[in-house]
Parts: sequence; C-alpha cells; structure tokens
Amino acid sequence: MSKQIKFISQAVINSYAILFFSQNQILGALLLVVSFFNITAGLAGFIGLALSLTLVTLLGYNREGIRMGFYSFNPLLLGIGFGTFYQPNPTFFIWLIIGCTIATMMSVTMAAALGKRNYPILSIPFILTFWLLLSSANSIYHMGLTQKNSAVLNEIFIAGKESFLYWPGLFFRSLSAVLFQNSIMAGLIISVGVVIHSRIHFSLLVIAFITACLFNSLTGTYPEGISYYHLGSNIMMASAATGCFFLIPSGRSYLLAAITVPLTLLFINGLTKILGVYDLPVLSLPFCVTAFLTLYFLRLRTRAGKLVLTPLQHYSPERNLYQYLNTRERLRDIYYFKFSLPFMGNWTVSQGYKGDITHKGEWAEALDFVIKDEDGQTYKSTGTDAANYYCFNKPVFACGDGVVEEAVAHIDDNGIGQVNTAENWGNTIVIKHATGLYSKISHLKKNSLKVKIGDYVKRGEQLATVGNSGRSPEPHLHFQVQATPYIGSKTLTYPFAYYLKGDVLSSFEVPAEGDTISPAIINNAVKQAFNFQPGYIATLLAQGREPEMLEVFTDEFNQSYIYSKTKGATAYFINNGTSFYFTSFYGDKNSLLYSFYLAAYKVMFITDPVIEVKDLYPLQLAPGKYVLWLHDILAPFYQFVKLSYESSCTLNGTNPLIRSKQIKQGFGGARQTMEALINFDGSEIKTFIVDHKGKKVEAQWVKENMY
Amino acid sequence: MGKLKYERPFIRKLNANPMNKFGAAPESQYVSSIEEHPVKELLAQYGSPLFVLSEKQIRKNVRAALRSFKTRYPAVQFAWSYKTNYLNAVCNIFHQEGSWAEVVSGFEYRKALGNGVPGNKIIFNGPAKQIEDLLLAIENDSLLHIDHLDELYTLLSICETISKKPRVAIRVNMDTGIYPSWDRFGFNYENEEAWSAITKIISSGKLNLVGLHCHIGTFMLSVNAYSIAARKMCTLALRCKSQLNNPIEYLDLGGGLPSTNTLKGAYLPGVDTVPSVDDFAEAITTAILEAGFSQDELPLLIMECGRVLIDDAGYLLGSVIANKRLGDGRRATIVDFGVNTLFTSFWYNHQITPAQEFSQHSENMVLYGPLCMNIDVIRESINLPMLNPGDNLVVHKVGAYNMTQWMQFITSRPGIVLIDENSRVHQVRKPETLEYMEAPELVPEHLTPDKTNK
Repeated sequence: MSKQIKFISQAVINSYAILFFSQNQILGALLLVVSFFNITAGLAGFIGLALSLTLVTLLGYNREGIRMGFYSFNPLLLGIGFGTFYQPNPTFFIWLIIGCTIATMMSVTMAAALGKRNYPILSIPFILTFWLLLSSANSIYHMGLTQKNSAVLNEIFIAGKESFLYWPGLFFRSLSAVLFQNSIMAGLIISVGVVIHSRIHFSLLVIAFITACLFNSLTGTYPEGISYYHLGSNIMMASAATGCFFLIPSGRSYLLAAITVPLTLLFINGLTKILGVYDLPVLSLPFCVTAFLTLYFLRLRTRAGKLVLTPLQHYSPERNLYQYLNTRERLRDIYYFKFSLPFMGNWTVSQGYKGDITHKGEWAEALDFVIKDEDGQTYKSTGTDAANYYCFNKPVFACGDGVVEEAVAHIDDNGIGQVNTAENWGNTIVIKHATGLYSKISHLKKNSLKVKIGDYVKRGEQLATVGNSGRSPEPHLHFQVQATPYIGSKTLTYPFAYYLKGDVLSSFEVPAEGDTISPAIINNAVKQAFNFQPGYIATLLAQGREPEMLEVFTDEFNQSYIYSKTKGATAYFINNGTSFYFTSFYGDKNSLLYSFYLAAYKVMFITDPVIEVKDLYPLQLAPGKYVLWLHDILAPFYQFVKLSYESSCTLNGTNPLIRSKQIKQGFGGARQTMEALINFDGSEIKTFIVDHKGKKVEAQWVKENMY
Repeated sequence: MGKLKYERPFIRKLNANPMNKFGAAPESQYVSSIEEHPVKELLAQYGSPLFVLSEKQIRKNVRAALRSFKTRYPAVQFAWSYKTNYLNAVCNIFHQEGSWAEVVSGFEYRKALGNGVPGNKIIFNGPAKQIEDLLLAIENDSLLHIDHLDELYTLLSICETISKKPRVAIRVNMDTGIYPSWDRFGFNYENEEAWSAITKIISSGKLNLVGLHCHIGTFMLSVNAYSIAARKMCTLALRCKSQLNNPIEYLDLGGGLPSTNTLKGAYLPGVDTVPSVDDFAEAITTAILEAGFSQDELPLLIMECGRVLIDDAGYLLGSVIANKRLGDGRRATIVDFGVNTLFTSFWYNHQITPAQEFSQHSENMVLYGPLCMNIDVIRESINLPMLNPGDNLVVHKVGAYNMTQWMQFITSRPGIVLIDENSRVHQVRKPETLEYMEAPELVPEHLTPDKTNK
C-alpha cells in the first residue's frame, strides 16, 4: 500500500516538475505550492492532474510514464489555465473534467505517436484542448463559462521600467507565467526550485531573458517591452529546452539557446496575428514550434559534431552532461568489436601502421608481429633456417568469434631472405566477425591450418601456426582488420580491446611499432565471481543495517543491472569477459548496493598487483555539493573537478583481492575520498569494505544458489 | 702488407672433421676466461678448484624456456627444482624471474621459506615428508603432492585435528612409451591406482584436490613421452571434473628436461641429439590444448625444470696436479677435482677444455681426480693436449646437481662464485674449511687430544 502511495505522490510531484523538464522533487513540490497562489487555478490544475492520473492508472498505461508525469502534465496545465481564465461554477467543473479527459487522451495518443520517433509532446495537448474550450466558450453555444478579468489577478507591486528593480521583477514574473501567474513572489520561489534542480537550467533562463530584452532594445519590436507571459512561457522555455535539455550543455548549445530567442519571437508575432483571426491566444505554441523544429532539424544531421543531442535523458542537465562526458570517456568498448591478440606470450610489433616496409597505401593499417629475446634477436643459432626463429611454428589463435571466410593453406614456406611476391599474402585466414568487419592473419605455415572455410571459430581457438609463406623474408605474423572479406582487401584502423604493454594495461589502442605486447591473462575466479547472470541472487549483510536483497535482471534493451529489492536502487553494469564495470546508478545512495557500485566501479579480471585500472566516475557523484554547484555553472564549458577511480587485483594467498580507491581532483589538489576492499573466497565475493567520505561500510556478500 | 715473419714448419694432427668412427673431434678450443674473467685470475683469487655460475646465462635460460611455453599456452608457471641447485643466490635468481619453489624435503621446504617464497608458492614433492613438515606446509597453504597412500592416510589423520583444508595434488606415474618407465613416484595411472587415490581424496571431503603431478623421468630424450604424459594427465583432470565435479586447477608435468650434456654411452654428442625446450613445450602444450578443456577451464601448467635451466650456466675450474703413464701405455692426468666435487661425472662425459693455449700435440688420456679411490675417474677417455702441472681446465655444463650432490670426502668442497649480469664476481659460497667440517662434531672427554697424548 505504501508503495502505491509513494508511486502516486511521485507521479503528482513529477507532473509539476516536468513543466521545467525536471524530475526534481523539491522543484515539483514548490511548483505545486506556487500553483495554489491562485486558489482556483491551483485547485483546477490539481483536479485536472488527479483526474488524468486516475484515468491512466486505472486504464493501465505504462507505469514508468505515469510516474514521470508524462500523461498528466498537460491536463495539469489545462486545469491551471482554465482556472485562471474562468470563474468557478458548476459548469466550470463539468467542462474542466471534459477538457482534462480530452487532454489526457491527447497526451497518451501523441506520446505514442511522437514517442515512437523519440520526440516529446511538449504542451501541444494543452494548447489544442484549451483552444477547443476557448472557442466553444466564445461560440454561439451555451457553455455557461464566465471569463475572469485576468489582468487584475496577482497584481502585486511592479516597479516602473526605469527602476532598477524592474528587470529582476520582470524576470520573476516571467517565470511565474508558466503557471499563468504574474507574481514576483511566485517567480522567486520557482527560481529557487530551478536552481536546486539545475544550475545550468537556471543560467540558461537568465541568458534567454537578457538576450530577449537586449534584442528588443536593439530592434524596438515591442516598444512597451516584451510581455512577461511570452518571455516566460515561450522564449525562456524554448531557450532552456534546446540549450540544456534536448542537447548536452556546451558552449555551442548555449549559443544555440541564444539563437532560438529571435526565432521564438518571430513565431510569437506571426502566430499571434494568424491565430488572432480565430480569436485564439498563441499560449505556449511558439515554444513548442521552436523546440520541436530545432530538435527535428538537429536530429537529421549525419554527424553530431560537438553539438550533441542528449542520448539518454536523465531529466537533469548536469547529470546528462556528466554522464555523457563520462560515457564518452569510458564506454569505448560499446563502439568497438573486442579484438584480442591472436597469439600468446610476449610478441613485438616489427612493423606497425604505416610501416616503412610493406604497410603502405591502402594496406597501411596492418601489424607484423615477431618474438624477440632479451637481446632483441628474433632467432637463435644462426638464423638461416625458419625453425631458428622464435615465432616460427608458434600457434595463432582466433582474435574474436566469427566464421572463417577464406582459408589458404597450400603455399610453401620461403627460405630465409626469400619472398614470394606472386602469392604475397601466403597462407592466410580471413574471419568474418560482423557484417563489414573481418580480420586477417597471413604468412602462416604451410598445411598448419586447423580450420576450413565456413567453420565457426571461438575467440582463443587455435587457427594455425606462424610460418614464412608469401611476401615474408623471415617468419612473422601479419594481422589486419578489413571491411571486406577478400584476401588483399584494404585495411581498417582498429584497436585491440585489451593487451599488456610491459606491465601497463592498454585498452582499445593500436600497438605502435617496436612495442612488446602480450595478452592479459584472465583470472577465472574473479571472472566467475563477477558473472552476474539474470536471476543471480545475493543478500548483503552489514552491521546495523537491514539485510539487502540483490537480484540481477536484464532489461528490454538487453542491458543488465543489479536491483536492490530492499532499497529500490538500480546499478547497470557491463561484463565483457575481461572486465566488469558499472555504467550508472539510480536510487538510494544509502544502500549497500551503492557502496558496492563505488567499490567495484571497474574491475579487470587480471590478478597482477602491478596492473592498475583507472577510470572516471560521473561527476554527479562528487562529494561537496556546494562546490559542485559552482562547478555546474561552468561545467558546460570547462570541467575542473575530476572524480577518478583506481583499482588493482592481487592474490591474497590463493584468493583474489581487489583494492580500489576514489580520488577527487579539484580546487584543493587531489584528495582520496574512498578506499575499498573486495574479498573473495575462491570464485565468490565474500565481503566488501568501503570507506567513503569517512563512513565505513563493511558488508558480507551471501550468494544464493541459482539452482 | 709487411713481410711475414718466418715460422718453423710443424705438423698438426688434422681434426677438422666433425665425426669419425672414434667419436667426436677433440676439444681443440681453449677457454681461458669465463664471461671476461680470466680463469687464472679467478683461481688465484678464490682457490682451485672453483665452481663458477653465470647469472646472465641462468636468466637467459629461464626466460627462453618461459617464452617457449608462454607463447603457446596461456597460463604457465615455473617452479624451481631446489634439489638441482639450492644455493640461495641461485634460488633467488629464479624467484626473481617469477619461479615458485619445488621442494622434496623439510630441509628444502624451510630453505624456500627462508628465501622469502610465500607458502602458497611452494610445491612440496618427494616420497618422505615428515609429519612436522606436513603440518608446516599445511599451515603455509603450500601445495602438497601426495606420493603414496600412507602419506594420504597421514594427511587425513592430520586433518582430523585441524580446521584447514590443505591443497593437495597426487603424483601420478604412467607408461609414456619409454624405458625405463618410472613407477616409483606416486600412484599408477594404468592400473587405476591414481583414480582410486583421487576418489579417496574427494570423498574424504577433508582435502582440496587442486592439481595433478607427474614426474615421468629424468634427462628425457623423447618429446613424445611428454605428449603422452600430458594427454593422460588431461584425461584424468577431465574425469575429475565430469565424474567428481572437482575441476583441476593445475597440471604439473614435473621436470626431467635434458641439458645438452652428453650421457655416458651416447654415441652422438648431446648438443646434436637433445631436443630443445621448444620441442618439449610444443608437445606438452599441444596435448593440453587439444585435450578438450574449454577456454576458461584450461588448467595452469606448472613445469619443474631444473637441469635444463642451469646446467650450462655452471663451470668447474680446476688445475692439473700431475701426469703419468699407465701400465698399458695410456696417458693419465691427475687433476684437483674428483667425483666428490664433480658428482655428475658419474653420468656424463663432460666437456672439458684447457684454460690456456696449448701445443699442437694431443693425446687420448684418462682424467683422474685427486681421491685415493679407484672410482675417482672424471673421464675414462678424453682427447686433450699435453698439460703441465699447474695448467688449468674448465669443465662445462656443471650447474645442475653438482652443488647439491657433492660430497665431503677426502678433500673439502670448493668455493662457488657467481658472475652477475654486470660481470661482477660475487662469492656465493666459501670453500669449506676444517673448522666448518668439525663444527658439528662432538668429542667425548676421554678422547680429546690432550688425554690421548698423555
């Protein structure tokens, strides 16, 4: 029952907050309070909201949509607007109910129609329904509605244009216009809510306001000054929506936000005239048109460049920005197919990309590998026989799963110093990993192939051994990635997922000529411990806390997450076979799951104390709220706070042990803000200890049997 | 070009041909220095005879051997066979190169601990582990390789009294198609004794069976034997997984890889006949990779190579004491190192070279040690140039077993020096002295010299 109440209250608050593209509870609550500054309007709005929520809940629409207020903010707006314009009487309520029902139906329908293409409905359902009501009320039909004189409403002190206070006053009145008010007090309260919700959003509102006023003083379009209603409901709204909601906040998005101001003005002017013919107010139509047009316009680009549309909406400009920056930094392996090295042990790149010998022109992005001893020699004894070479006859393994597309095995191995330019690739295998992604290994030993065309190969499966066939004066392994399946296709720049260069772990990099590299050896116990399959259940026990039940799920986009049943928190993760890392966390930060999220933010399944995994947390997790607020304002342009993560995995006796820490780099230099330890018992997590911001959490991990 | 100096013509025995029906060509090269250090200077400074070890060569050997395995198999671990050479300096070179320790007695076990090897990186082999050794090893979480049922029963009874679950492996012996087929270490594979031991271990629930070990022989000249051994070990490991649900974490293929010394009785020299580490690595890893393990459950491969990693890094420098003619007319040379010092001369025809320039005359001779014992023969027949008393000799490839199996007999044991990677000489063991020998001795009161001489 309490869950249901929580759900409904969230839906109510969110319906208010979403008017400012937010899901912030404080902003939502403040808007709710402010809406009641005009009792009738506030009440009518709340009735509209309640009605629509009841409707969509009873009829069983998408619960997540309901909770976020998707379907109910238009009826809410309609109610507020209706209550502002008309005197309450029995017929008022009848038409309110009917209007809100239509607005709800429109919201649901349009959300489906536009949502399919990932476009927002904005306040279009409200505008259309309100027009319907206004037109009906002004028609020959007896609607029984009495219009208020809205000009007398909320006329608190408004300073003259010359006064210094006029401009801030106008700004706050403009903000209150979103709730059809004209009150400095209301605007002030809303401002506080917006600042709490987002510093970026607020700064854009200010920028839009100033731009609009400047524009007007330059052009003199409105000799009386721009109307507060249009400033608030259209210009500032459109500007902020494009500047920080639909786009990732950046210098460019700010510029775009400023550009939308004159665009919106033109829409206001033009539409006012056109709709005036039908006696209809433009309401927030200019905002809707500008926002929609800009969004559509930008979405049709083939390349995003530096003006990036928000890939995943978190309903907070800051969070969108930090998550975007963080993701761009971290999640390279989502964009790349994971190639592993096609050999074992230490090999040296004898010729890299754009090599001097043969890696030229269209075939420049290839790598040649040999084995060298500590003296830098590639052979023992005299080096006159192919068998003297360390790499000769060494096994070659599949660099990824795929299907063998080409396999040539009949070409003789050359004598040392001789080349076969006629069959220059020698014995070769081409594997198709994905459409348009092939890897090729060449100069293999004659008749050493263990696969044939059409075979499905798994990563790490032996394919052949290194030989000296084709254009190869001494035994070496040639590796390249290509977009087409032919032997002789041109090459493609493509990184290896993970490899060790000495003791340093390289991820998604292309080794350079002269680098000695080796594949990272996976510790199966750690890998097994982090193998969170859907249905994995564990209980976390910590002293002085209620036990926390965790379960792993996979969502409809095939993304896995750990869900804390007890705390309702969610942590999305990726396990790519070499490492485990969290991508995002939602929910209660007092949960044990959050502590684990911090501690195991990124873990490589490699037990070598020398290897340090480095990563960055999204900045919204940075401790020090007020410093971060300051940072938020500048963040679209420059980020001077960094929250980094380091972990290393060692063996404690025979059990793996992971140590990790969080380091905050900001004004006062670097400071360690977290120290964590994850203990294993064989291939299972046993305990984790997280000392974060001076608060120590020690939890026991009890895995439940899946079968 | 100036006028050449006149040289008196002389006749030199032609020995350019590599082989003839009398065997290999004589050692016609002299070795006057070891890694830039003149033999004479080393002997003058540290006394004769003297063992010399080359750190550079040891590291080169272990890296090359590791490279052979690691470029073929994802998880390889070497464990230094202590019995081959347990000088602390030597052990620590191997530990620095990442090797674990493989020990076969409580004495060696404690030596490994003393060298700072973590308990869980010590492999305890050998047929005669004492109870206190077992307790110590269990406490340190070392890997216990069980050799016989009595040891297994001892372990089980120890487990009654402790709460720990020791990590164990069983030693397996098997027919690998060679003669002699070793069956004295561990449990037999063919007659299912090994499987029976495994089931006993698993069903006891008190021991954690983590590995399988085999030691199929020593100085193995057949690559195929390792291939067969690896296959049989894999079969056993897979059976443990499928039938007993006890995956095996590692396979220990033991040591036994030969150095390039020439065994007595061998017709061809070792350098030409002995397979390389690479050949053994290929045989072993191919067998495991093809055995049917999934990628994730490929066991760790442990190798306990000893001899092959150190033999050619050791030299014995010595001096000629006298020459004589034997009754049958053969020439004999007496040197200052005997079988007590060069124990491996029982098995090998060691390569021995003069340490100084020599005349063109060479002769087949017997090389005797200094002992007053008939068995003290270093080489029964070796073609060496004429040597004068005080001349020096270098015995090659003596790094393995000599410095552990040597005897204090008649003479005391010589010193050992190590030439490091920067060519600096370090004494790693002093020559033994009379005081050292007598230190543990206790003489009853009535047998002390002052009583005796009264």
